[in-house]
This record gives sequence, structure tokens and C-alpha cells, in this order.
Amino acid sequence: MAVSPEYIALLRVGIRSSPEWKEAWDRINDYLDALKTPDSRDRELILLASFERAIARKRGEPFTPATELAFEETQKTLDSSLGHLIDAEVPGMRRSVEERVRLYLTENVDGNLLGREDELSDEVLQALREVKLQAAPNLQVASIKQRPLEFTLAGKGFIGLAKKLSPMGASRIIAWLIGLAILGFLIFSSLYK
Amino acid sequence: MSGNDRSGKIVELISSSAFEEAFQEKVRNRRWAVALVTFGISLVGLWLMFDVMGAGGWTTLKGVEVLLFGLLFTSLSFGFSQAFLGFLVLAEGNEPLKITNTLDEETPLASTAVVMPVYNEDAETVFGSIRSLYDSLQERGELDSFDFYILSDSTDPSKAVEEELGWADICRQTNGFGRIHYRRRKLPVNRKSGNIADFCRRWGHRHRYMIVLDADSIMTGKAVSSLVRLMEVNPRAGIIQTLPRLIRARTVFGRIQQFASRLYSSIFAAGLNFWQQEGGNYWGHNAIIRISPFLCSCGLPGLPGKEPLGGRVLSHDFVEAALMRNAGWGVWFAYDLEGSYEGLPPNLTEYVKRDRRWCQGNLQHMWFLLAQNIRPISRIHLVQGILAYVSAPLLVSFVLMGALQAGLDHLNSRVGIFPSASAGVLFLMTVTLLFGPKVLSLIHLFSRPKEVAAFGGPVRVMGGAILETLFSVLTAPVLVWFHTRFVLRNLAGKTVVWHTQTRESGDGPSWNEVIREYWPLPILGIVLSALAWWISPDYLLWLSPLLVGLILAIPVAHFSCHTNFFGKLFVTPEELNPPKELSGDFRLQLREGDQFVHAVLDPLYNAVHVALQRKRETSSAPSSDYGVSLAMKLFQEGPDALTAQEKRALLTDGHTLAYLHTLIWRTPAEMMHPAWSKALAMYRSAKRRREQEPGLIEAKLAGVESAVT
Repeated sequence: MAVSPEYIALLRVGIRSSPEWKEAWDRINDYLDALKTPDSRDRELILLASFERAIARKRGEPFTPATELAFEETQKTLDSSLGHLIDAEVPGMRRSVEERVRLYLTENVDGNLLGREDELSDEVLQALREVKLQAAPNLQVASIKQRPLEFTLAGKGFIGLAKKLSPMGASRIIAWLIGLAILGFLIFSSLYK
Repeated sequence: MSGNDRSGKIVELISSSAFEEAFQEKVRNRRWAVALVTFGISLVGLWLMFDVMGAGGWTTLKGVEVLLFGLLFTSLSFGFSQAFLGFLVLAEGNEPLKITNTLDEETPLASTAVVMPVYNEDAETVFGSIRSLYDSLQERGELDSFDFYILSDSTDPSKAVEEELGWADICRQTNGFGRIHYRRRKLPVNRKSGNIADFCRRWGHRHRYMIVLDADSIMTGKAVSSLVRLMEVNPRAGIIQTLPRLIRARTVFGRIQQFASRLYSSIFAAGLNFWQQEGGNYWGHNAIIRISPFLCSCGLPGLPGKEPLGGRVLSHDFVEAALMRNAGWGVWFAYDLEGSYEGLPPNLTEYVKRDRRWCQGNLQHMWFLLAQNIRPISRIHLVQGILAYVSAPLLVSFVLMGALQAGLDHLNSRVGIFPSASAGVLFLMTVTLLFGPKVLSLIHLFSRPKEVAAFGGPVRVMGGAILETLFSVLTAPVLVWFHTRFVLRNLAGKTVVWHTQTRESGDGPSWNEVIREYWPLPILGIVLSALAWWISPDYLLWLSPLLVGLILAIPVAHFSCHTNFFGKLFVTPEELNPPKELSGDFRLQLREGDQFVHAVLDPLYNAVHVALQRKRETSSAPSSDYGVSLAMKLFQEGPDALTAQEKRALLTDGHTLAYLHTLIWRTPAEMMHPAWSKALAMYRSAKRRREQEPGLIEAKLAGVESAVT
């Protein structure tokens, strides 16, 4: 990734001159931090290349916020760096998702694969091309046989009785009255023994 | 002889009809022995009770009291008989009828799923358990036979994202992609049993066995591979349950429970296996299940009526064991298989909250007592489960009837209701039944000096046992109170709300919360004390163990949450000499804060989440209007704008979430909700935070300029 001194000077002027570009600069740096991109020369190159194009675009699109332009150009820079790991048929936004998945999978204490692709073996690069995040295996469907509960004769009788009595239990007042009546009977019958 | 040949021989031997007949004969004899001891003790108790009650003449109240006493005393005798016979089995040292006798380390393993249903749990606990088992199996070279499934029913969006990221992180740490799986249901239909059933429907044909773990369960690699081997050599075994040891307790309550369980459970477990044999029970976790018969026989039926007593089966485990037995499969208890552990509620309040759910589940089991084709042994398990809760209102009724009768006697100036000899013997008998198993456990322990040392020595064991007994005396009335409330509420048709447990110690409930929950107990205790004093000071003394527990309920409940007491007491062998699987300190590498916000903002988390959504939702398919409207609401009104339900809906729309991520990152601060620009600053590295001044940016640019030119 070659960056000429003229563009860096241009960038310096741009950032110095405008709070809008300063915000864009901070935002993109935050984004690269969130991507766990180490503070290295490669990171600076991503920034410079992206801002170079964003500033150039701003001349043609003066009403588009600098943050938006910078973000889009950063995405393009990342895409050019990681895009070869993603199948060509994967559509737009999904490409960014897949690229970030690969950054996640290669993340370690030193950062991730951004700018370190040369260090990765062909096998690892191939595995990264083929990786597909899948949390659960393919289905091997089975069914659970559910049998209804069949009651004994006594059970049916009990349920029938419970159904007949349940309206009494459903009313709190009746339930309390029955309870108190039982208690009263117990006390009364025990009192005069 | 190869592992296969040897296992084949064992299978052949176990399957032979001669072996089966001899086995059944022995099991019958054992069950008669338990029945004899139980009913023998109960009859003596009843006879004494008749003598005590009949002394002052019979009344209706006394009749009811004797009836209640008969039920409660028989239940108590059954527990004691089990412990006593278990003590004899362990003292003899050679139990011929236990499933672990058939274990052969050479038996080849079979494809097994380790399944862990979770519901809004702490992701680090969940994945820590999985990680320790994964590492343990890897170390044994047996990983190839196992797949791990985290089956989530989590409804909290932040927890759901945390689990997903936890899954990705553990897979990344262990290279476990394709072996550790994660699935979250959109709707937690039928709760835990529905979760397991859903697993069976999706991947039931992928594995021969499943080992079910709870979110706080831990098992060693040796234990799970032993379970698989036991299944392989016992082709008629449908379920093998292990005895999980309680671990990782830090609060007073937790450590006392952990100590008591470790000390006393052995003889109960040996006694349980003594009579139940292949007619055992399933406790819902730390057990292995043969999937094929589970699919054919263990579909849970709907219950008549509505919740709480009808509707869907809540406590599925006992029912599944009963259905498995119905289909002719054995349910075994590998009570002496080491390496099975579980956590426990950290304090009395959490324990009671768990009991609230279990109570409802066990009461529902009464339907199965009325059902056809449930084996008698399964009915005994179901009755035991029901009695674990129903005995509380029975005990309360028994005490109240006694108080009423005593009060009536006092009013009628009748005295001398307790003839000294019979009442004294009955009291001693009851004390023996209650505390005898503890004494037997201590005798068993002290006959093995090495085990005493594993508990920290005789002084710690005895000190712990005495304090534990006091604590259990104080907490028993509290549990009786709550169980009574739960049973009555359920009978009155009140449904129990499904709450998450606090599995970690945490801060515990505050004084205010404890008072709000426990205030009726001391009032009840004081009123009952006054009544008892009015009847007779002797009667107050008689009831004092119950009354002290009630009066002190609030301080005891609060004290149970503390973590800085009894550091040197209540130690267990697992604390002093933890196995490797328990000593690991697993940490997920996740960002702190609301994981839902991270799923939107963090480019890596967002990518993992979006990539895990179904392909049709994230590739070319347009987002749903609902998803887009939620995203716009979130964008304009900030992270707190959506309800949990809306957040869950948005999380399932990967395409929209990816778009929202881009939208927020590329929008200038003044054009979006301030909460988002504030949240974005979370991702700024510490180094850059120090470099915020414009002068430093200038200097940095100058540095870059010199580097590239």
C-alpha cells in the first residue's frame, strides 16, 4: 500500500482545518480499535489510504458527512485487504460480516490477521477461505412419541369426583367456609368428650 | 481379550435368563427387607402414639392426629430404613448389586451428546463446565466420541448474546468448532423438558446416548466415559443416574449444605440403590440416557386441567424415569461413581425459590399415581417426591391439632396427656429416626481414617456436624412454613412463576428483602409461644425447637447469605483436594457491559452474531419491515429504547443488525442519539484515550509521515 507524502500533507491540512474531519478521524480510529487492529504501520496505512480517498470524494460530495465517507472508504480498504478470503459470490454487506468473522477467528494477543497475512501458512489461509461459522450441526431429525395419560378405573373415579367438587374449591368463600366447618366440627366433637 | 470381546462377555452374562432370575429374586428380598424395617418401626411408633393419645380418652382431634402421625412417621421410618441399610451395605464393603460392578475400562465408547439446557445463566459458569469436561476428555484421548450441546432457552437478549459469544470464544480457545454446539430456541416451549425434547427431535439420531448436565453441573472426563461404558455393557439400561456432589459453595448456607450432603449422602445413596436397583429414579441432570428408548417411550403426556396442577409436566425427570421403566428399560443409580458435581442455591431464600418450582412439579405427579401402567416402584418414587412437600402441611396440621387438643384440655382443666414412659420412648424414637442417619454417617466416616483426614480431621468433622445439626433445626421450621404455603397456593390454583436462580453467592438479599419475605414467621412463632405458655410451660418446652426456628427466621435467613464465616469449618474433600476439573479458573474473553449493545456496535461480536443467523436472513433476503422499524427506533432513541421482546426480535434479523452496525459507525455524533456516540467511545483503546489532545495527533501524523516517506 503506497501513500505519497502529498496525500499525507493533504490529510494533515484536512484534519487540522475541520472538526468534521477530526470526528471522522476519531471514529475510524475507534472502529479500528474495536477491530483489535494493533497500533502498527499497517494500521496507519489503512487510515491514510482511507482518508486520502474520503477527502478526495468530499470535493465531489460536499453534503455527505466526512464520517460517512471515511467509514465507507475504510470498509473498502479492509475489503481490499481481506476480500480475497471471501467467496466472490458473497453479496455486499455480508462480505464485511465475513471479513470481520475472519478477524475474530484469528484474533490473539498480538492483534489479528490484518497486515499479517504474509505470516500465515497456505493451509491457514485456505481454511480461512472455507470457514463457515455454524453453531449447530446439520439436523438428523427424529420424533418423540407422545402417549396420552390413561387412567385406572379408580383414577377416573377420583378425577370425576374432583371435577364435581372443584366448583366449591373455586370459590374462596365456600372453600373457607368448608375449612372452618371441618375445624369447627373437630373442635366441637373434641370439646364435649 | 480385546475391549469389545470382554464387554461382549459381560453383556452376554447380564442378559442370560439365569442371571436375570437370580437378580430378581435378590431384589425382591431386599425390597421386603426395607418394607419390614420401615413398617416395623412405624407400627411400634403408632402403638406408642395410641398409648400416649388414649391415656386421656379419645377425641376426634386425637384420631386425626394419630392418622397424620402415622403418615409422617412412616415417611420418616422409610428414610431411616434406607440410611440404616445403606450403612450396613457400606460397612460390609462389598455390594454385589450395583451397576458400577460391570464397569470395564476397556469397553469401547459410543457416540454421546453432552447436553446442557440453559436459561439466562451466567455464561462463564456454563462454558467453564463445558471447558473443564472438554479438556478432561481431551487429556484422556476420548474426545472423539463426544459432542457438546449448549441448549439455550434464554430470554434475556444480553444473556443470549453473551452465550453466543461465549460459544464462539470457547470454540476459538479449544478449536472446538464442529464439536461444541450452541442452539437457542426462539420460544422456550415446555421449558427444560421441551428444550431436551427439541434436541432429541433435531439431533436424536446423531448419537446413541446423551449425558444431561445442568448449567452448574461439572463432570470429569472419567465419569462421563464410565457412564458410556456402563451403558454399553448393560444393554437394558435406559438411564444411569450419578450422585452429584455439591461444590463451589461460598455462603454459610451453601457451605453447610455442601458439607452435610457430602457427609451424609453416601449411606442414603447406598440404601437407595439397595432396594431400587434397576427401578431407580432420574433427577434431571448428571445422568446418561439411551436416546432411542427415550424417543420411543419418554414423550411427556399433557396433564388434565390447567396449571399449576395440570397442563404441561414441569418436573419431567421422575416421569421420564417412570416411562422408561414402563417400556422395560432399567433406570440405575451409579451412586459410587466419582466425578459428578453440581452447584447449589447460595442462600436460604434462593433455596426456597427453587423449592417453589419443585413443589409444583412434584404435586403434578399425583396424576401419574392415578394412571395405568406405572410400575409400583415408580409410584413409590412419585409418592416420595410428593411427600417431600406435602409432609409440610401435614406436619403443620399435626402440630396445630395437637395445640388445639392441648388448649381444649387446658380449658377443660384436663391434664396429663403424656404418660411419661410411652411419650419418652416415642420422643427418643423420633429423635433417633431424625438424627440416627447423621450418627450412622459419622460412624461410617470415622471407621475410615483417610476419609476423616479428607474432611480436615476429626475436630472439624465433629464441629461441622454439631453446627450443621443446629442450623438444620433452625431452618427446618422455615422450610416447613414455605412448603406449606407452596402446597396450599398450588392447591388453590396459583401458578408458580419461572424465575432464574442466583447460582453464585453474590450479595444475597438485603435485610429489607429478607424481612419482606420472612416477616410472618417470627410473628407466628411469638403467637404460638404465647399460646403454648398459656397451655403449659411444659408444652412450650415441647414445641421450643419449632418455635425458636420461627422466631429467629429473619436473622437466620440473612446470616445464611454471608460469605465470611466458618472459613475453616464445613470443609469437604473436594475443597481441600479439588480434582483438576474443579480447580480450573475459566474466563471468557468478552467485553464488559450490555452484550446486546456490543452485538450492535462491536464489529467482531456483530459479525459473529450476524453470521450465526440463518443464511436466508442474512444474505440476499430483504429485512422484515418490523426489523427495520425496530432498528430505526433503536438508532433514534438509543440502546434502551426497545423492550426485551423487541430486542430478541431484532437479534434474529441478522441483515438489519449488520446494517444498523454500519449505520451507527458511519453517522456523525450530532445526527444520532447521544447514547450511541457515548457507547462508541467504549471501544477506544486505553492508549488512544491518553492521546486525545490535538497536539498529540499532530505529532503522531508527523511520525507516520516520516515512517512512510
